[in-house]
Amino acid sequence: MVKKTGAKPDRDKSERIFSSYKPLASTYDEYFSEAGKVRSQASTVVQHLENLGRDEIRDRMRLAHASFLEGGITFSVYSDARGGERVFPFDPLPRVIDPVEWRRIEQGMKQRVEALNSFLGDIYSRQKILKDKKIPSEIVLGSPVYRREVQGIRPRNGNYIYVAGIDLIRDQQGVYRVLEDNVRVPSGVSYVLENRIVMKKTFPRLFDRHNVVPVEEYPNRLRRAVTSAMPGRGTNLVVLTPGVFNSAYFEHSFLARRMGCDLVEGRDLTVIKKRVYAKTTRGLQPVDSIYRRIDDDFIDPLAFRKDSTLGVPGLFEAYAKGNVVLANGIGNGVADDKAIYPFVPDIIRYYLGEEPIIEQVPTYICERKADRQYTTENIDKLVVKAVNEAGGYGMLVGPKATKQERAEFVKKVNANPRNYIAQPLVELSASPTWTPRGPAPRRLDLRPFVLRGKDTWVLPGGLTRVALVRGSYVVNSSQGGGSKDTWVLESKKS
Amino acid sequence: MISRVAENAFWLARYLERVEGMSRMLYVNINFVLDVNLEGVPRWYPLVLAVGAEKEFRARTKEADRDDAETVQQFLCWDQDQPASIASALDNARDNARTIRETISLEMWESLNGLSLWFNGPEGRKRYQRERFEFYQYLRDQCALFQGFALDTMLQSEAYHFMRLGTSLERAGHTARMLDVKYHALGPTGRSIEWPREIAQWQAILRSCCAIEPYFKVAQGDLSGPRVAEFLLFEKEFPHSVTRSLDQANKFLKLVRPRGSSADRSAKALADLRSQLDAISMEEVMQRGLHKTLSWIVDSVAGICSAVQEEYFLAPTQVRRHRTEPKRKLSRTA
Repeated sequence: MVKKTGAKPDRDKSERIFSSYKPLASTYDEYFSEAGKVRSQASTVVQHLENLGRDEIRDRMRLAHASFLEGGITFSVYSDARGGERVFPFDPLPRVIDPVEWRRIEQGMKQRVEALNSFLGDIYSRQKILKDKKIPSEIVLGSPVYRREVQGIRPRNGNYIYVAGIDLIRDQQGVYRVLEDNVRVPSGVSYVLENRIVMKKTFPRLFDRHNVVPVEEYPNRLRRAVTSAMPGRGTNLVVLTPGVFNSAYFEHSFLARRMGCDLVEGRDLTVIKKRVYAKTTRGLQPVDSIYRRIDDDFIDPLAFRKDSTLGVPGLFEAYAKGNVVLANGIGNGVADDKAIYPFVPDIIRYYLGEEPIIEQVPTYICERKADRQYTTENIDKLVVKAVNEAGGYGMLVGPKATKQERAEFVKKVNANPRNYIAQPLVELSASPTWTPRGPAPRRLDLRPFVLRGKDTWVLPGGLTRVALVRGSYVVNSSQGGGSKDTWVLESKKS
Repeated sequence: MISRVAENAFWLARYLERVEGMSRMLYVNINFVLDVNLEGVPRWYPLVLAVGAEKEFRARTKEADRDDAETVQQFLCWDQDQPASIASALDNARDNARTIRETISLEMWESLNGLSLWFNGPEGRKRYQRERFEFYQYLRDQCALFQGFALDTMLQSEAYHFMRLGTSLERAGHTARMLDVKYHALGPTGRSIEWPREIAQWQAILRSCCAIEPYFKVAQGDLSGPRVAEFLLFEKEFPHSVTRSLDQANKFLKLVRPRGSSADRSAKALADLRSQLDAISMEEVMQRGLHKTLSWIVDSVAGICSAVQEEYFLAPTQVRRHRTEPKRKLSRTA
C-alpha cells in the first residue's frame, strides 16, 4: 500500500460536510436558516470546515482531546465511585454571536444582575418590595435559601453579587430568554478560556478570518471586582475551595493561578477576634477578600451546617463585622431561587424603573394552588424542576418521560409544592455539532458571566453548553453535555 | 505561603525524586545482572531490602520467587498498594501537583501529568513489556524534564525552595540506601582485597547514582568498596553524594526559614548530622561498619523530615509579627 500523501482523495472533497445536514423541525438553528442556507455570521466557518474536510477535522479533534487530557482540564463526576477525572467534551464547531445581538444581551445581563443585587439589599434590610406587595412574602421568606442570619447585615459596598452566571436559551424564533439565574457560585468560566486556547491551537486559521473578541481578561477583571470593596488591601485575596475532590477543582485552581493568589481550603484559614487569617509557613497572615467556591451551608460550621468540615469556623462573624469580603455574599440564593425567578421582571421594574431587556420563560409556581393543578394535569407537556437544585438534577422533562416517572413526579410535587416550578418545554435552539457521522443538530444554551465590582462587566460570549445526546434538552456536563467555543464578533471595522 | 501548599510542594519533590531514583536503580540492575554471572548470590532481592519494602514484599511473594527479576520489578514498579513502588510514588507526585497546580508552572504540570498518563496507559505497559531499558530511561528523562521546567519556569520563591528541600533530603536518603545494597547482597565490607563480584557490585551502585564517570574522574583509577563509599558519602562536588545533598538541603532550609523564627529543630538536626559527617573519617566509618553508618544516616534524614513537617506544615497558631518588631519568642502549641 502506498501511504497517503498531502493530496487528499477526490472523494473526500466532493462529499461536502454540510450537504446532508438538516436543521431540526420547529427549532432555531444557529448556523442555517433552512437546509443548505447558511446564516451570514456562520458562513466563513462553514466554508473553512468544508475546505478542511472530514479527516482533517477528526485529526484536529483528537488533538483537542489530547490537549485537554494532558492539561488536566477535567471535572470530577460524583456518581463515579473512584472520583474519576473526565474531560469535558469539546465540540469544534463554534457558536458565533453577531455583535448587534451581543450588545443587547450584554445590556440585559447588566440590568438583570443590578436588579437582583438591589433585591438582595432590600430583602436583607427593609423589605420594601414585600411591604409594597410586589412579591408574596411567604415565597421569599419561606425560601429554604433565605438566610435569616444575614438579615440586617450590609456587606461592604452593598455588594452581594460579584459574579453571576445567567443561563440563556433561544426559543423557536431565536429570541433569547433567561432560563435561570446563578448568583451563588456559578461555575464553568475556566472552560470558556480553555476552549478558546484549544480552539486557537487546533483551528488557528479560523481566527485569521474573523475578528473574535478575546476572553482572557476575565481573571484579572474578577480580581479587580472582588478586591474593589477593600481599597488598598487587595493583595490579600484568596480563592476558597472545598478541595481537590470537588468537581470544579480545576476551575478553582485555574482562577487562583490566573489571579495570582493563593488557593486555600477551609482548614488553611482561621478566625481570631473576628479577623480572618491564612495559616502560612511564616505564621498567620491576614486575609481581606475571599472568592469562595463553597456553598453557604458549608462555609462556617458555627453559623450554618454544624457537620461541615469544609468551612471556616467564625468566618460568618468576620463577614458580618465587615472585616472580610466574601464573593459572592451569603444568602444570595434567595435571588436565584427558581420560585423567585417568575418575579424577576417585576423586580427589574420595581428597582430600576425599566422594562426587562431580555425576556424569560413562562413559569408555574407549584406553591400556588391553580398553578399546581395546571402542572399536575399537564405534566406531559411541562418541564418540572426542583427550585434549588442544579446540574440537571431533580428535574423531569415531561414530554420525554415515561408514565411512571410522571406519576412519581406528581406525587413529589403534591408532597412539597414549594419545592417545584414548571415551565413549558422550550424548543432550545440547536447548532451543528460534530458526531462520529459528521455534523448533526444538537440543542444548546448560553451562560454569560457577569462581574460586578466598581462597575459591571460581561465576559464577551460565555459558556455554550450543548446536549450531545441526540434529542436531549439537558446540557449539563453531569448529564452528558459538552461545550463549544463561543465567539462574539467585533463590530465591523470601517 | 500556605502551610498545606508548602507541604504538598515538599512531598511532590520527594515523590518525584523517588520515581527517578527507583527507575535508575532498576535500569542499572538489569545491566548489572547481564554483566556478571553470580551463582548463588541474590541479585534482585537486595533492592527490595534497600528501599525498605521487605515486609510488604514477603507478604505478597513465595520464597522461591523472591529473587526473580520479573517478580521484583513487578513489585517495585507497578504495585499500587505499596508505598515504595514507582506507581504509587508517581501517583502521589501527581496528586500533590494537582492539588497545588496554582503554585507550580503550567509546564511542570503538563510534563508530570503527561508522564502519569503515559505510565498508567497502554503505552507505558507496552514499553515495559517490550523495551524494558527504554521504559526506565523514559521515566528518568521525564523526571529530569520536570526538574528542568521547575528551574526555568517556576517562581524561585518559597514553594520552589520547599521543593528543593524535599528533593535534597530524599536524595541524601536514597544515596545512602543505594550504598547499602552491597551489604544486603554480599554482606559487610571489609578492608581486605575484594572479590571481583564485589567490585562489580560497587560499579553497579555507582551507576545507579549516576556516578560512574564522575567517580573515575576523582578516584584516578582506584576502584574499591571504601573508596566508592567515600565518594558517595563525602564528595562535595558530586550532586548525589550524601554530604552534598545535605548541604543543598541546608541552603534551602535557610531560605524558607523566616528571620527570628522559632523553627530550629529541623535546622539543628540537619546541622548536627552534617557536622558529625564532617568530623568522621572514612577509616572510622569502616571501623564502625558501613552498614551501621548508612542506617544511621537514613534514620537521621527521616528525623529531619519529620521536624520540617512539624515546624512548617502543621497549623501555625500565632499571628505573624511585623518584620521590624523586636524579635520575640513565639510559643508553638501545634
